[in-house]
Amino acid sequence: MDILIYGIINSFSLALMAIGFTLVYGISRLPNFAHGALYVITGFLVWSLIHLLKLNYFISILLALVIMGLVGAAIYRFVLIRVRGMATSEIIATYALGLAILEFLRWGGFKGMTYTLPVFIEGSINIGGIPVDFQRIIVIAIGIVVVTFMWLFTHFNKIGLAFRGMAQDEHAAMMLGIDSDWMAVIAMAMGSILAGLAAIALLPLGNIVVEAGYNVLILSIAVCIVGGLGSWVGAILAAFMIGFLQIITVAYIQSHFQMVVALLTIIVTLILRPSGLFGRQKELEERV
Amino acid sequence: MKKFRFKWVGIFFLAMVFCGLPILGHQANAQGKPIVIGAPLATAFLYGWDAERAIKLAVEEINAKGGVTVGKEKRPFKVEVMDTRDLEPGVPTSDALLVVEKLILEKNADFIVGGPVRSEAALAAMDLLSKYKKVSILTTGVLTPAYHKRVEAEYDKFKYCFRISGEVGWMVVGEFIPCLMDIKAKYGLNKLFIMIQDVAHARAGGDLVSKLATEKGWEVVGKEIFPTGTTDYSVGLMKAKKENAQVILIWMDMPESSILLKQWFDMKVPALPFGTIISAAEEPGFWKATEGKGEYALGSVVNAGNTPSKATPWTMKFVEAYQKKWKLEPEGYGTSSSYMAVYTLKDAIERAGSLDSDKVVAALEKTDLMGVYGRIKFNPKNHQIIPSVDPNEGAVGTIFQWQAGKRVVVFPPKIAMGEVKLPPWMKK
Repeated sequence: MDILIYGIINSFSLALMAIGFTLVYGISRLPNFAHGALYVITGFLVWSLIHLLKLNYFISILLALVIMGLVGAAIYRFVLIRVRGMATSEIIATYALGLAILEFLRWGGFKGMTYTLPVFIEGSINIGGIPVDFQRIIVIAIGIVVVTFMWLFTHFNKIGLAFRGMAQDEHAAMMLGIDSDWMAVIAMAMGSILAGLAAIALLPLGNIVVEAGYNVLILSIAVCIVGGLGSWVGAILAAFMIGFLQIITVAYIQSHFQMVVALLTIIVTLILRPSGLFGRQKELEERV
Repeated sequence: MKKFRFKWVGIFFLAMVFCGLPILGHQANAQGKPIVIGAPLATAFLYGWDAERAIKLAVEEINAKGGVTVGKEKRPFKVEVMDTRDLEPGVPTSDALLVVEKLILEKNADFIVGGPVRSEAALAAMDLLSKYKKVSILTTGVLTPAYHKRVEAEYDKFKYCFRISGEVGWMVVGEFIPCLMDIKAKYGLNKLFIMIQDVAHARAGGDLVSKLATEKGWEVVGKEIFPTGTTDYSVGLMKAKKENAQVILIWMDMPESSILLKQWFDMKVPALPFGTIISAAEEPGFWKATEGKGEYALGSVVNAGNTPSKATPWTMKFVEAYQKKWKLEPEGYGTSSSYMAVYTLKDAIERAGSLDSDKVVAALEKTDLMGVYGRIKFNPKNHQIIPSVDPNEGAVGTIFQWQAGKRVVVFPPKIAMGEVKLPPWMKK
């Protein structure tokens, strides 16, 4: 029972971390290596709005998400647009940006173990004799809402449909009048908001530390590679696969190996199916 | 036009004079060429920034009283701090060595005080200190017995290396195990579950505690090793609960260990969290950060004075001075030892009457000073501070417990300010 409950929680945590990364890649083929830094900066932003500007917690969250959306859009408009299409430069630019954000936070005094966000609801319940705190249940709820929203958005909204068009064939989408740069701006903004949303859901469980940026990035990459780069459905399935594998490893082998599991799945996926569960960019090469 | 230029040049020089006035005032306290203390520290981490603050406090106090008497002249201390980043994951040891070398060659450090903070980096830096014959007093982070064993094994080469803070051998044998035995005697607990971080010192420490605790009648019911950066401990905690653990021994220097304590509280695990090394719980801000969920957590801050206590007459003076300057209590491991290292160095230089490394080494070996955490004396063979549970005999450590928002010293008994308490869900 504990494996089932904590497996689901862990899977939704991973899905939340990774969905923003996979959205940006899926639509604009941009590997946003600043994703972890955007996650961390949201945490510190909410903390600052609460403690320095004395704003209400939920107003701080909304404000932080809006700011993150603008930050994401600005990153594309002022940085990534200049290197678009040059895969190596995109990786270098986003990684450097992420590094700069994290180092700037450290330089700005955001270090130590005392930066925390309050949980949404205090307390815990027993599910089948297993204690689960409400914040973890909220993580599941947010995860379900995000997944449902993404499905509805990409199936019934004009921009969402344009996203799918871009993901399927960028040039064909452009011929149909879809503005590729504008879509990339929106995708980066949404990806940043999703990174921020993950931070807001997960950070109240612990504390906000700069180093989390690297962990979130690694886990997001693991989920996206296993799921297939750019496929958010694949990312969710991969999150469940890795999430449960990690919890089973902790329960039956050793906690020590839980990060190894995530990295091992990358290697196994790259060997057996380089395009991941739902990825398509290498299908032809695989067939050959 | 020429008159106009002269006017601006005049204003510029006048401004420079005004800017220079505070420096002149500072020099009035302690004149002479400064003695440069190079401090290689991981300044983004508790064990680095608290050491930096403590070193600066000691230097400020000493300079305000006229500085250091070297022979017949008075000279001020000057601190040069450089970030080693050696506590960050993935940063190679060579980076910390570069910092040490930069301090010696570029900043002309006369002495090295503080780090490097990670054991691997400190051990590697020993050769560098030997090469440049620079006296170093290690104050924070490094707990490995290999450091002083190396000095003893190759004394002539490594005689410049001293450590004024604790080391893990003594901490386990002299502090953790006796404290566990006190808990066993008082509450009848005897089932231990070990939770450690996947780093060398924690693995070695966990194994040692496990071995010695078993010999002393404890039953070790499980051991979990968590990778650095773990953010979910629930399954591990449930294992501890299933095994009926009564004490959870934690050895972690990662910030995420505060999540472990929060989860422990939320899950009401009926086992006392005994943090041997648990940096997250050391900081005064821990209580607020965990919204009180860290209550009952025990932790070691290695040396007395890193939490308020009355170990010696100097302890509370130091605590108050630190609070006055930095607006918070001494923060944890590395604070009092870094502060005392500067005073110990001053004392040795004055007795040596020179900055000559060999003379200062000889003087340091004869140090006998009543400091913030007890009697400061180095073992002349290995240059490790002599530990004790009595501040009149040697350097004392501190194990504290979070009780009602305060870090209450519970061990060693000579300096204890309270007793270990069990959480209400553990009381029968």
